[in-house]
Amino acid sequence: MRGDTWKIVLTIVLIIAAIFYLWPTFQWFTMSASDRTAMQQNNPDAFANLQKKALKLGLDLQGGMRVVLEVDKSQLDDNAKQDARDRALEIIRNRVDQFGVAEPVIQAQGSDRIVVELPALQDPERARNLIGKTALLEFRLVESPENSDLLIKRLDQIAGKLSPDAAKTPTADTAATPFADPFADTTKLAADTTKDTTAALANTDQSNVLTQYLDFNGVAYQVTEEDYAAVDRIVNNPEIKAALPADVELAWAIRPEMINGRQRRQLYILKKKVELTGAHLKAANPNYDQFHKPVVDFELDREGGEIFGKLTGANINKPLAILLDGRVESAPNIRSKIRDRGQITLGGNATFFDAKDMATILRAGALPAPVKIVENNVIGPTLGKDSVDAGINGLLISFIVVAAFMIIYYKLAGVVADIVLFLNILFLLAVMAALGATLTLPGIAGIILTIGMAVDANVLIFERMREEVRTGKKVAACIEAGYERALASIVDSNLTTLIAAGVLYYFGTGPIRGFAVTLGAGIIISMYTALVVSKLILHTRRNAATLSV
Amino acid sequence: MQFLSKTNFDFIAMRKVSWAISAVLIVLGIVALFMIVFGNASLSIDFAGGTEIQGSFANPVEAGTVRSALASAGFADATIQAIQGSTPNLFNVRVKSASGGSESESTVAERLRDALNKGIPGNSFKLDSVQEVGPTIGAELRTQAQIAMAIALVGILVYIWVRFDFRFSVAATVATFHDVLAVLGLMFILQREMSMLILTALMTIAGYTINDKIIVFDRIREHLRVFRKKSDFVTVVNGAINQTLSRTIITSLTVVMASLVILFVCGPVVRDFALALLIGVVVGTYSSIFVAAPILVEWEARRPKRFK
Repeated sequence: MRGDTWKIVLTIVLIIAAIFYLWPTFQWFTMSASDRTAMQQNNPDAFANLQKKALKLGLDLQGGMRVVLEVDKSQLDDNAKQDARDRALEIIRNRVDQFGVAEPVIQAQGSDRIVVELPALQDPERARNLIGKTALLEFRLVESPENSDLLIKRLDQIAGKLSPDAAKTPTADTAATPFADPFADTTKLAADTTKDTTAALANTDQSNVLTQYLDFNGVAYQVTEEDYAAVDRIVNNPEIKAALPADVELAWAIRPEMINGRQRRQLYILKKKVELTGAHLKAANPNYDQFHKPVVDFELDREGGEIFGKLTGANINKPLAILLDGRVESAPNIRSKIRDRGQITLGGNATFFDAKDMATILRAGALPAPVKIVENNVIGPTLGKDSVDAGINGLLISFIVVAAFMIIYYKLAGVVADIVLFLNILFLLAVMAALGATLTLPGIAGIILTIGMAVDANVLIFERMREEVRTGKKVAACIEAGYERALASIVDSNLTTLIAAGVLYYFGTGPIRGFAVTLGAGIIISMYTALVVSKLILHTRRNAATLSV
Repeated sequence: MQFLSKTNFDFIAMRKVSWAISAVLIVLGIVALFMIVFGNASLSIDFAGGTEIQGSFANPVEAGTVRSALASAGFADATIQAIQGSTPNLFNVRVKSASGGSESESTVAERLRDALNKGIPGNSFKLDSVQEVGPTIGAELRTQAQIAMAIALVGILVYIWVRFDFRFSVAATVATFHDVLAVLGLMFILQREMSMLILTALMTIAGYTINDKIIVFDRIREHLRVFRKKSDFVTVVNGAINQTLSRTIITSLTVVMASLVILFVCGPVVRDFALALLIGVVVGTYSSIFVAAPILVEWEARRPKRFK
């Protein structure tokens, strides 16, 4: 039949795709422990890639990572303390859910701790970032270049007196007078600076203790990654901090950026006043801007939109710093008045993953209090090797029992059902590997159950064929009629379940979602294999004298 | 091979008996549901939370060995984890709260320590810390799951309504509730505890059982088109059940085979899951034949509608 050609092609393509997706899994699980260690040392990139593409095993079968977080309630009032842990738990659960079908364990421990366990994860660093961030989003204005310049010069003077080699030069006034607010009177400040500069001329070595590292780009100061630690020490010095005006703060960029061939990090001088926080955020989604740079599109609620509109309208052509957990994500120039929809450009060497993670934690909301990671361990599987073996044995035994039964009961047609059954399992595992789903012992039990249920469509078809055979029709007609008449039943019964799977995926979270994914994939696969593949195989028998069913 | 040749049982005539059985099953299920909601049923650590201890063994030991030592001391559902930390042979064990939380954490911890020391002789276990742990399925997750399931159910109802008829839709839903409640009730009588796994099994059963009902309904719908003028509704329904009988039994049989394999081969962790499935398949098959279609007959007898 001509219509069969594309079905044959599609089926072959699907089988090849399935093998392609399962190949890393096969390689990974057939590798000996010593081969794995060797590969990890000799070729870490390939190793990480293989591990990422292989079907992941759950906490019960393979173990994973365990992070214990402590919610710092010291800043909260008594009322907020009550439910801070529970709120933090739900927010962290939402964030972890975004990892996909990861089968995590999240539970409260004691009065202020949260335990997060994730199955064999390829990127523990990213997981810790996602789990441990407070996700405090702030919009703040950047200090003007003129004021910034004055302030940095001021700080440079103080730093000069603080610098470790300052001890070598005997100076009478090591203790610098802290300035409450140098911008209160600019003329006075300018005068002070001149005075100090003159004074400092005697110790030229120290006059550029801070500025030697800094390179101003109009918005922020750039510091090479090698100097980052040194500068960070200086700006965190209590005397430097005390010298800052009350309404100004120094803040680092979240991540470094490649500029002129070197990794550099920006240091911002920001207004302390928080113009808007993430509390007004309604939605956040990762995206690319027109330069293909990762961004996070956000939407504010009505009140937030009004505040943001006023803020941006009054500060056109000035940079607006976007901070996450006190670090600057980026400080784009305000080009026009923005109301409730905006875009956070990700600074530095940000990747789309960073945008995705940022959107995730913004969507899930800010934690009610800062958290700190108090324990961070690798954990072994909760089940012994015997249980893992039992699961795999169960899979094989179940397959053999059901397959044998189908052949005994339906003869040659049973063989067709078995081929289809095998393809079902192959496709389902491939889909799980491709989606990064996690296989647990209950998951294996689910697949075993699928084996029992997957033959249903074929049973329906074969029973119909038997009815047709009894009426004495020709073989080809029996096959056609069998499929045709079983079609409505198969479609109706599977579509209802598919609707349920879709709804559970859309409205559910965590374990419910994982269940919905495997359920939905299983239904689509079994419908395809039963209606297309088994029919293709049976078509080869259409000229036979009798139908072996 | 063939189990059943053309059958012609009068299933509808047996509906009085089957409804008595179903009534008992439903009452049982409702009792179990109340017990769970009001906290009188045994809930697993997934829902109830429990006690977590951490401690180390003197010598290396497998998680499986720890599991069997705890199982023989009555902690069959303990979660056991080896922790690769600074301390060697460090283990983390979580067990659910003892009946109604009557036992204090430290008592549970002592019993766990004794169980480990007695169960694994010659390898002393030193207890480091005891903590109370919350449920892994929190209140918010439970609410969300309930909402998701309710919407899913409405989706199914609407689909059957559109594709078949409102009465079919109601009959399928009632039968599905019947099956889920029956499994819940029977698991309660068998004193199995409610865990996330049982919940998954219930969801699977709901999906399976709706499938089963629709296949019978599909045949009824087909026959209604052909035989409406010749025979009455009862004959049509009886004929449809009889004609799909061999399919119903074969599919149930393969699912039963799979459940039995899980029950006997896959180890203690998924045993309750398999048991729930097994009960679910049997009840679901029974209700496809004796509950779902008879509802249609009863409805039609009271308020004749003459199906299209």
